[in-house]
Amino acid sequence: MSFSTILGAWIAAFLTLGIFSYLYKDNPFYKIAEHVFVGVSAAYWAATFYWTQIYPNLFGRLFAVDSPFASMYVIDKGHEYNGLYFFPLLLGIMMLLSVFKQINWMARWGIAYTVGIAAGLKAFGYLSSNVISQIKSTAVELFSGELSFFAMSGDSIFNNIVIFIGTISALMYFYFSREQSGAYGRFTRLGVYFLMISFGASFGFAVMGRISLLIGRFNDLILFSNPSYNYGTFWMLGLIIVVLGYWSFQNPERTEG
Amino acid sequence: MRFLEDIIVKFGSVDRRVIFVLIGLAVLVPLLNPIDLAIRPTPSSQRVYDAVDSIPDNSNVLISFDYGPSTRPEIHPMTLGIMRHILSQDRGHKIYITCLWPDGLYMAKDALKIINEEYDLVEHEDYVLLGFRPGNEAIVKGLASDLRKVFTVDAAQTPISEIPMMEGINNLNDFQFMFTGSAGYPGTFEWVQYGADPTGVPLSSGTTSIQVNEVMPYVQSGQLKGILAGMPGAAEYEKLIDTPGIAIQGMAAQSYGHVVIVLFIILGNLAYFITERRERKY
Repeated sequence: MSFSTILGAWIAAFLTLGIFSYLYKDNPFYKIAEHVFVGVSAAYWAATFYWTQIYPNLFGRLFAVDSPFASMYVIDKGHEYNGLYFFPLLLGIMMLLSVFKQINWMARWGIAYTVGIAAGLKAFGYLSSNVISQIKSTAVELFSGELSFFAMSGDSIFNNIVIFIGTISALMYFYFSREQSGAYGRFTRLGVYFLMISFGASFGFAVMGRISLLIGRFNDLILFSNPSYNYGTFWMLGLIIVVLGYWSFQNPERTEG
Repeated sequence: MRFLEDIIVKFGSVDRRVIFVLIGLAVLVPLLNPIDLAIRPTPSSQRVYDAVDSIPDNSNVLISFDYGPSTRPEIHPMTLGIMRHILSQDRGHKIYITCLWPDGLYMAKDALKIINEEYDLVEHEDYVLLGFRPGNEAIVKGLASDLRKVFTVDAAQTPISEIPMMEGINNLNDFQFMFTGSAGYPGTFEWVQYGADPTGVPLSSGTTSIQVNEVMPYVQSGQLKGILAGMPGAAEYEKLIDTPGIAIQGMAAQSYGHVVIVLFIILGNLAYFITERRERKY
């Protein structure tokens, strides 16, 4: 195994255990891992966005082989010259001007354009896929001779009644123009139970997701504890325990949970 | 009875670090000593399997890697399972890979490395890694209208016009099936709203557990052809294609971790009610 692979595994083990050390308490190892993560992520995103979007799709169009600037500089990414792309370049520069107090108002133009585009795109997607399609799928057959009365999943009379009552009662709960008392209050209360079941399922799935991530990190730590990685996990674990113990001993007031 | 209540109250006020250690052990021990648990595919996983199985021969399949290293343990086994299923029957399918997440590119490269060890694939003939483009839903919308405006080169900077398997591929309508391994935004929602719904191309998804509740209405309405729900979904798919992998290995750890959490939720609630009752009494 190459030196760089082993070094990478040791760094990965150190950073993983550094993050885990937060479960004991906030400490320098956690801070190191946290700051490295934020710094590397920001740099990685900036570099990736530049080389995958700005360079090929913006400069690739402004400095295409058939551009008026071809005699000076060419970026051949398969695009034709399109002068309209000076407009997004200008908006992008204007957004960066927000760091200068005197002319930071210029940034609003770029932000307004971005927000406008995003709102337009979202409105279209939500209206067709969420509003219309979801209303359609909630309009279920309640009493059909073709459906079985009960099924564990999928269409059945029982499931369709649950969908119908659940949707209506949960929606009614958010209708605040009428006092939620009497029979109406009991019906909206049913809506709350449906919502609570939904929140409970979400919480269960969230726990499941976190356990899955823990399994992923443990799998890597087990792998890095192999002799082929020179027992990287054990060395890093030992280092963190010894230093953290010494740090806690030196700063007793900080060790109280 | 009083003695039992005292024990429950003590468990209810146990230091949180003890709970962390117990959960850690409950997850770690089954990983060190693998235990076989029965895995039964759910209808939503079965729907994904059936959707992949029903793709016509010699189809173009688009797989989007919309996740990063943080959600790799959940989603990676799904994308690997889907790729194995697509390639397993040698039905002449071609795989086109896109990424809406910047780090999805490296997930795709890693998946291709594993798949290339199992199948004799030729780049640009059997698969193409188109790569990452920033823009979220705008990218999916762009692919639906004109793929060649979004991708002029692939991830290795090879011009699209020079890639044989890109011939005749102009937008999402030229694919017979799509799959997104999705960890959040952008991901499944964007593919449904701007990819599958406007074009009618069948779409399945593998998502993180935390997204399942929000995505499930799309499965119910038929906008999604099934969903692989978190690590259990990945394990079910591994079972369906009869290729045990890391998801199946992780299910015992997943189950024992849950047992400890549920146990402490019950103990915590019991301790709360016992303490409340005692305070009321005195």
